[in-house]
Amino acid sequence: MKKRDFSTKKSLLILEKIKESLEKLNQKMEVMIELQKHGKTDTENFADITAPLDVMTLLSMPDHLRKTAITVCRLGRATAEEVAQQTKRARAVESAYLNQLVLMGYLKKERQGRKAYFYVDKENKE
Amino acid sequence: MGKIIAIHSYKGGTGKTLFSVNLATTFALKGKKACLLDMDFRAPSLHAIFKVNNVECWLNDYLNGTCTIQKALVDLSEISGGKGKLLVGLANPSTEAIRDMSAKDRKWEMRALGRLLSLRNSVLDEMGMDYLIFDTSPGLQYSSINAIVSADLVFVISTIDASDVQGTKRMLCELYDLFEKKTYIILNKVLMDISSKRGKEELSERLGNTHTLPIFEIVPCFCDILKAGGTYIVAKEKPQHFFSKMLCHMTEKINHL
Repeated sequence: MKKRDFSTKKSLLILEKIKESLEKLNQKMEVMIELQKHGKTDTENFADITAPLDVMTLLSMPDHLRKTAITVCRLGRATAEEVAQQTKRARAVESAYLNQLVLMGYLKKERQGRKAYFYVDKENKE
Repeated sequence: MGKIIAIHSYKGGTGKTLFSVNLATTFALKGKKACLLDMDFRAPSLHAIFKVNNVECWLNDYLNGTCTIQKALVDLSEISGGKGKLLVGLANPSTEAIRDMSAKDRKWEMRALGRLLSLRNSVLDEMGMDYLIFDTSPGLQYSSINAIVSADLVFVISTIDASDVQGTKRMLCELYDLFEKKTYIILNKVLMDISSKRGKEELSERLGNTHTLPIFEIVPCFCDILKAGGTYIVAKEKPQHFFSKMLCHMTEKINHL
């Protein structure tokens, strides 16, 4: 009986790990799809990509990222903690989404001491 | 804390401007501080309704970043007879300005969204206005969606025309749901007599299961308002009109939303 319990627990743990890996893979895929959409193949220049975060872009985003992006638009400049307070989601989740938006080129990230601030880059770089 | 209200519709000619102007006027007549912005840059109309032509700055200039919002607002508080405050931001009606606004790129629209979002701070918090109303352009336009994203409440005006009803339904699912906005429908130009059971049945038959969101108000078709064609503001000139009374009731309901 005990052996059976143990094996159920083990398989649950494995499933959990698979789920986590799938989620990570999904996030990476989304970044790749977005980059492909904008014709960027040079993955080394991630930080240099800037894409305008306009309403049509917001509309075409997956739901979970849209919520985060709109919150940053509203706040102007915010930490993952501040975004999480608005969206009522976990800070770690928001942090992942925010970094994903930075990779996609929609947001900029700036470190100030221990805090990382995210904002929409409104400077004209045409 | 003030409220930002966007008035939108799928099709043109549903009565957005009529509602925006009369709603802002009703708020001012009730002693509130209202600010109304003409966000229809393709077909500006508030300058004609309020009969203002010479302005220092247009709303276009504010969105272009060449003036402050205070400079782009015209004080029309005299309409309320000193009871409240009514500030209006006008869209530039010149062909050149309309052409210029329709040729803006995504980056400009992104900055325009930022400027609209900052109005909560400048108009509501710093200037102490109670309501900020956006009169938008119909359909899926950049300027309209920017206004919707910036608003707290959105009123979608729809007629009972089949194409309007269908389009509104699609817009509710594919636009408002995505932005998680508090949205309410105002049915306008309703020809059925909704005080009778038969009229109510006829109306719900026409709408089917289209409107899943709360219908805020059902407004009948007023021939005299259509005949007036925007030459006067009903809420101001005819306070005893059924439409003006409906507006009074609506402003009270808005306070509780």
